[in-house]
Amino acid sequence: MNTRALLLHEWDFGLVVPIVCVLAFVAYRVRFGRLLQRRAGFFGIAVALFFIALASPIGVLARGTLFSAHMLQHLLLMLAVPPLALLGLPREPLDPPSFRLDRDRGALGYVAPWLGGVGAMWIWHARPLCNAAAVSTTVQTFQTVSLVALGLAFWSPILSPRRAARMAPFPAILYLFAACIACTILGIMVTLSPVEVCSAYLHPVDSLGVLALLRDGWGLSCREDQEIGGLLMWVPACFVYAASILGTLARYYGEEHVSPRAVGAPR
Amino acid sequence: MTIASPGLAELPQSLAHETERGPFGWVATVDHKRIGILYLLTSLAFFLVGGVEALLIRIQLARPNAHFLSPDAYNQIFTMHGTTMIFLVVMPTLVGLSNYLVPLMIGARDMAFPRLNALGYWLFLFGSLLLHFSLLAGGAPSAGWFGYAPLSETPYSSTPGTDYWIVALLVLGIGSVSGAINLIATVITLRTPGLSIRRLPLFVWMTFVTAILIILALPVLNAALAMLFIDRRLNAHFFEATGGGSAILWQHFFWTFGHPEVYIMALPAFGMISEVIPVFSRKPIFGYEFVAASTVAIAVLSFGVWAHHMFAVGLGHRADMAFAIGSMAIAVPTGVKIFNWIATMWGGTLRFTTAMMFATAFLLEFVVGGLSGITFAAAPIDWQVTDTYYLVAHFHYVLFGGTAFAIFAGIYYWFPKMTGRMLDERWGRAHFWLTVLGFNLTFFVQHFLGIMGMPRRVFTYPDLPGWGALNMASTVGAFIMAASVVVFGANLAISRFRGKVAGHNPWDAWTLEWATTSPPPPHNFDRVALVRSRRPLWELAHPASPTAAASMAERLPPAKTVVAVWAFIVSETAFFIVLILSYVFFNLSTAASAAALDAKTTAVFTVCLLASSVTLYVAEKSLERGRIVAFRIWLVSTFLLGMIFMGGQGIEYTTLFHRGFTVDSSLFASSFFTLTGFHGLHVTLGLIALGILSALAFADDFGGKSLRALRAVGLYWHFVDAVWVVVFSIVYLRTVL
Repeated sequence: MNTRALLLHEWDFGLVVPIVCVLAFVAYRVRFGRLLQRRAGFFGIAVALFFIALASPIGVLARGTLFSAHMLQHLLLMLAVPPLALLGLPREPLDPPSFRLDRDRGALGYVAPWLGGVGAMWIWHARPLCNAAAVSTTVQTFQTVSLVALGLAFWSPILSPRRAARMAPFPAILYLFAACIACTILGIMVTLSPVEVCSAYLHPVDSLGVLALLRDGWGLSCREDQEIGGLLMWVPACFVYAASILGTLARYYGEEHVSPRAVGAPR
Repeated sequence: MTIASPGLAELPQSLAHETERGPFGWVATVDHKRIGILYLLTSLAFFLVGGVEALLIRIQLARPNAHFLSPDAYNQIFTMHGTTMIFLVVMPTLVGLSNYLVPLMIGARDMAFPRLNALGYWLFLFGSLLLHFSLLAGGAPSAGWFGYAPLSETPYSSTPGTDYWIVALLVLGIGSVSGAINLIATVITLRTPGLSIRRLPLFVWMTFVTAILIILALPVLNAALAMLFIDRRLNAHFFEATGGGSAILWQHFFWTFGHPEVYIMALPAFGMISEVIPVFSRKPIFGYEFVAASTVAIAVLSFGVWAHHMFAVGLGHRADMAFAIGSMAIAVPTGVKIFNWIATMWGGTLRFTTAMMFATAFLLEFVVGGLSGITFAAAPIDWQVTDTYYLVAHFHYVLFGGTAFAIFAGIYYWFPKMTGRMLDERWGRAHFWLTVLGFNLTFFVQHFLGIMGMPRRVFTYPDLPGWGALNMASTVGAFIMAASVVVFGANLAISRFRGKVAGHNPWDAWTLEWATTSPPPPHNFDRVALVRSRRPLWELAHPASPTAAASMAERLPPAKTVVAVWAFIVSETAFFIVLILSYVFFNLSTAASAAALDAKTTAVFTVCLLASSVTLYVAEKSLERGRIVAFRIWLVSTFLLGMIFMGGQGIEYTTLFHRGFTVDSSLFASSFFTLTGFHGLHVTLGLIALGILSALAFADDFGGKSLRALRAVGLYWHFVDAVWVVVFSIVYLRTVL
C-alpha cells in the first residue's frame, strides 16, 4: 500500500458516526432555525472534524496502529470539535453588557470543567487505559464520548453562548494558560519518555497491511511515532490555547467600544 | 502639586510619608521611589563592572593568539560578564524603573508591600555581593552564565566559584520573585479609580505580564539550582551522567527558565518604547489592543519553545521541527509590535529628543536582532552557526540593541521626573551617536566572524584570513561604547545638579506620573483625578476632544494579601512541578522506591496533614462567626496535626538513613529526599506561620488585619497539602498500585 491508497481508501464510515453527524445537523436546524448563517459555519466545521477524526485514516490508524494518529484524534476531539461547536451556537441576544463572574457557577464551576478536560487528556494516557482504547471498540467509543463531552465542559466557561456562563477575561486567561501548561507537561513526558506510553502500538496487528508503509515508507519507528504524538500534544495543542487566550483578550478589549451606549452614556 | 479636577479620589496613606534625611534614610527606606533609585544606581555600578569585563574580553580577542588573559581567567571573565549583565544589570534596571514608575503611573502612593519591596532590593544587593565574593574565595565561577552540566559539576569545576554562583542566583531569584509578587499585587489592587486594565499605560501592562513570567520562570531556575547544589555539596548525581543522571535535563530546566527570561528582559523594554514613541510622535499609540494582546501571546509562547536553544543537543528531527515552527511563531506577535510602533510614528509630529532617538534606533537594532533570531529558529542554520560569534552578535542585538537602547530611551524620558532636572540634550546626542557607532561596529562584524566559523567561549583564535582585522574592528567598537558610557555618566552627574529645571511635565506627556511634581513628594499625589481614558492628562488638557470616553462599572479590587498569596502559590507550583518531574524522570520504574518506602505508615501521616486543612478551614469559619474559643482550639489542632506530619517524616527519614538510604546513595534517594525535603521545608514554614498566628490568637483579640493574615496563611497551608496529595500519589501510591 502507498500513501495515496491509504488516504483514499482506508476510510471506515461505519454507521454510527454518519448518523451522529446527521443528527447533529438536524438538532441544530430544529433548535436554531437556519443552517445558512455565519455561526453555523463553525458548527459545520466541528461536525466535519468529528467525522474526520473518527472515520478518516486518522481514526482507522488510531485503532491500535499508529500512536501519533491516536494523539491527533484526541486533539481533534478535545481541542477542535468542542470549541468550534460552541462557537457555532448563536449568541444569546439579550445579554447584560458587563463581564461579570457568574455567581451561580462559583469557583468549583470552573475547577471541575478544568479538571475534567485536562484530566481526560491525562487519564486516557495511563498505560492500561491507552492500551484498552487502542484494541477494544467498546472502550474506544467510551473514550470518544468522554473526550467530546469533557471537551465541551472544558470549553463552555470560555465559549458558552450565554455571556453569564462565561468566565471573566483574566480568570479565563489563567484557566487556559494552566491547561496549556498541563498539556505541555504531558507532551514533554510522552515525547521524552524512554518507555512506551501505549505498548499496544509497539506490535500492532496489521490487519490493514499498512505497517510496511509506516515503518519503511514513512520511516516511522515506534519511538519516533511516540515522539510525534508527544510533540503534537506539546506544541500545536498550546497554539490552540494561545489562540483562545488571544480571542478572550480580543473580546475584552472589544467590550469598551460597546459599553458607552450600553450604560447609557451621553453621545 | 497635583492637577485639580472634579472627581478627585482620596488615596490611602503610604508608609513612606515621613522620609528620613541622610544615608540612613536611604538604608531604611521603604519608599518605592528611593528603592527604585537604589536599584538603578546599583545596576549602573554593575554595568560599569560588566563593561570593564567586556573590555578585557575584547582586548584579549583584539589580536589572534594573544595572551593578555589566561584561558582560565578568560572563562571566569566571560561567565561573570554574562551573569552580571543579565542578573545584576538588565533585570535590576528594569525592576528599578518599574519600581519607581508603576505606582506613579497607576496613581498609587506606593507598592502594595513596601517592606517586601525593600527586602527585594537588599536581597539583590547581597546576592550580587555574594557572587563577587567568589573572587576572594578561590576564583570566580567559570562555567558560563548558563552553567551547563556536567561542566558545572564538582569534577569539572572544583573551585567554590560555581557554588557562589548558585547561591547568589538563588538569592537573586528569590528577590525577583518577591518583587514580581509585589508588582502583581500592586497593579491588581492599587489602581486609581477609573484606571481599568484596558486603560493601563503599556509600560505598566508589560511589566505586569513580565511579573507573571518571573513568578513562573524563576522558580524553575531556582529548583534546578537547588538540585545542582545538592549535586555539588551532597554528592548527588542529578545532572551527572557518570552517576546515572542527565546533563540534558539541566539544559531543559535551564532553558525552560532561560527562554522566558529573554522576554523578562525584553517586555519591559517594549513597554518603555510604547510610552516614549507616542509622546514624541504626539499621537496615541497605534493599535493599543494589539500591542497589549501581542504581549500576552509572546508570554504564553515563550514557555513552549525553549528547546530551540537545544537544537544541537540531538533531540531528533521531529522535535527540532516542532520547535522551529513554535519559535518562528513568536516572531508574529513581536512583528505586530514593531509595526504598531512604526504606525504610531507615521504621520506624527516627531520630536527627536535623545529619548526618541534611542527609541527610533531601538526599532532598527532590535529588528536586526529579531531577524537573526528567526534564522536561528531554522534548525539547519542553527547547527551551522550555533556557538559561534553569529550567536553572540544576535543576542547582543536583542539585549543591547533592544533592551539597553530602550532603557536609555527610558532614562532620558524619566530622568526629569526622578530628579526634577533635564538631562543635557547635547551630551545626550553625543552619547547616542557614540553608542550607535560603537555598538554596531562591535557586534555587526561578529555576524561575519560567526559565519566564518569563529567559536564563542574560546579564549583566543588562530590567525585566519580576515579574523584578526574583524576582531580588531570589534574591539575598537567596544572602546567607542566605553567612551559613550563615560559621556552618559558625565551627563547623569552634571545634569543631576546643573541640568535645566524640568517642571511637572516637560514632555507634555499623558500618563499619571506627570501629574505630580518632579521629583514627586514622598506620598506621590495628594489626589488623583478620576481616570477616563488611556491618556488622563490629555483629557484634562483637552476636555473637548477625548481619546475615547467610556465609563465602566468598577468592582472592588481583591485584598492585596490574597492576590500576593495566590501569586506566591503559582510560583511555588512551578517550583514543585520541576521537582516532581525530576522525580518521575529518575523513577520511571518503581523498583527502587518500592524497596525503600512504606506507603501504609505514610498514609496515616498523610491523613493527619489533610485533616489539618479541614481544621484550619473550621478555625477560619469560627473566627468569622466570632467564636473565639473554638477558633483557638481549631487553630492549635491544625498546628499539632502539622507537627505530627513532620514527626512522621522525621521517623521515616531516620529509618531510611539507618537502612543506608542517603541523598547521595542513588538517584531514587536523591530525588526522593529533594522532593519530600523541600515539601517538608514548606510545611515547616507553614508551621512557623501557624505558630505565630496561634500566639497572636491567645495574646489579644483577633480581627481585621489578623483575619486577613489568617486567610493568607490558610491559602498557603491548603496549597502545601495539595502538593502533598500529588507527591503522595506519585511517590508512595505508585509503589503499591
